[in-house]
Amino acid sequence: MINKMKNNIAALSFLLLSAATVAVAQEKASPLEISGSVDTYYKYDFNKTGNIKTYFAGEQNSVSLGMIDLALKKTTGKASFVGELSFGPRGQYESIPDAAGGYDPTANGFNIQNLYVNYAFTDKFSMTAGYMGTFIGYEVISPAANFNYSTSYLFGSGPFQNAGIKGTYAFSDKVSLMLGLFNEWNQYRASRGVSSLGGQLMVSPVKGWTAYINGLHGLDGYGNYSTVIDLTTAYQITDKVKIGLNAANLSAGDDKFGYSGVALYPQYAFTPSVALGLRAEYFNYKGMSGGPSASVTSFTLSGNIKSGGLIFIPEVRFDNDKDFSQSFVKSDGTTLNKSAAQFSLAAVYSF
Amino acid sequence: MLMLLLGLSTLLRAQETAQLPKDETGKYIYYEVVNTNVAQDTLKVRLQRFIQKQKKELKPVLVGDVKEIVANGKIIIRKSMAMLSHPSGEITYRIYFEANTDKYRFWLSDFEFFPYQKDRYGNFVPSTTVGIPLEKEPKKWNADQWDDYRLQVAKYAAEFSVHLKEYLANKVAKTPQPSEKKVITKTWE
Repeated sequence: MINKMKNNIAALSFLLLSAATVAVAQEKASPLEISGSVDTYYKYDFNKTGNIKTYFAGEQNSVSLGMIDLALKKTTGKASFVGELSFGPRGQYESIPDAAGGYDPTANGFNIQNLYVNYAFTDKFSMTAGYMGTFIGYEVISPAANFNYSTSYLFGSGPFQNAGIKGTYAFSDKVSLMLGLFNEWNQYRASRGVSSLGGQLMVSPVKGWTAYINGLHGLDGYGNYSTVIDLTTAYQITDKVKIGLNAANLSAGDDKFGYSGVALYPQYAFTPSVALGLRAEYFNYKGMSGGPSASVTSFTLSGNIKSGGLIFIPEVRFDNDKDFSQSFVKSDGTTLNKSAAQFSLAAVYSF
Repeated sequence: MLMLLLGLSTLLRAQETAQLPKDETGKYIYYEVVNTNVAQDTLKVRLQRFIQKQKKELKPVLVGDVKEIVANGKIIIRKSMAMLSHPSGEITYRIYFEANTDKYRFWLSDFEFFPYQKDRYGNFVPSTTVGIPLEKEPKKWNADQWDDYRLQVAKYAAEFSVHLKEYLANKVAKTPQPSEKKVITKTWE
């Protein structure tokens, strides 16, 4: 009886697989898409040390590597896959875990930024599963997709990737909802089961304005069960003026690490090739066990000078750390300082 | 003889890839008036079905004047590297349609280019919500690319027009099915 059931299940599985293969073979395939970017930078901290520790552009007084990023995408009918690899400091130990789940620059890693499959059941509903760039936050890992080259405290404190499965339903061009189940932050494999719940509501009230309200509850990158709520929005007011906003709050209980912050991103495009953008950020580390909180403010002024696929990003940044939480030091390397300032110049080429 | 053939081929290529003309407002336009014996109401129903069939590329737009049917369309522009390509942008346009007693007319206009940028998931999406009108004069460094966009639009508009006219005339060609091959096991052939 059991053997007969097993045979029936095997036959049914084979039939379904064959039907799916035939269906895929008959559907239209798009060409394989290859794209990517390369970037390099020079940074100089005016106190001659790497004071500002937010992600990327961390090496002081050095012409340094960012990353080389290669992405493959293929669509066949309703199914598509994306595989994105990255190499270099920004694309390896600074942004993705190694094979053991840590960030050891000497350990082997998978070099995977995105690896997922997507299936569009209808024009409105699709499902995606795999290892994906996080839906939380305004800034991203790829330098080609950020206006500023250095990143914010909000970016550095939140998740970088979410592995899991999610479904997205587009009610219209103006409203969509995503819900999903994920591993803990950033990890290729779950240590305590696929137990994080995440969601994103997208609204586009008027042309040029899009807002994302994001939420993620589960095991975070600090070893706690926490909830992060995030608002990411951008409004292209005119062809020259754009303003972005990111606000987030992570709570994990009084005795555990949490944070809140807000960053504003006004940008002005003098021409399609030359633009100036400011990032003004306030970031707060919540006090643990009833202790005091600590806050940092940061102002970053960046230019984007474009020529074809090449972007030059000159940038100056001033951070103020009134509570000495960042251990900024003066040029003697030991005396604590409440502020830090740096200049950087980056070149990013996208293809 | 060879020179004549070369000259002819150049002339034909130039004719195939000519840019669209401009209307009285200075906008690029593909405009055509077609004589027909199909009733106005039938034409409008067929056009709405055509728009519905092309729902990935065309979206109907509600307008106050019911005499005119309007839809928004888009053309995906691909950046090619040998055999591989990825979307580098899209060109949106608007299609207008009017029908009369014994003719109808349609035109494609309002062409705008939206450059693409890769998002956090590795997909290419518009990097701005404000399009660049195709009439805008390009800078020197992207003049060739801009000319290419204009030529692609002209080619697309010509092909679109053929499909639309065939559909409105109810003359969509059926794909010929290959004859079924039969094996006769009774013979040795």
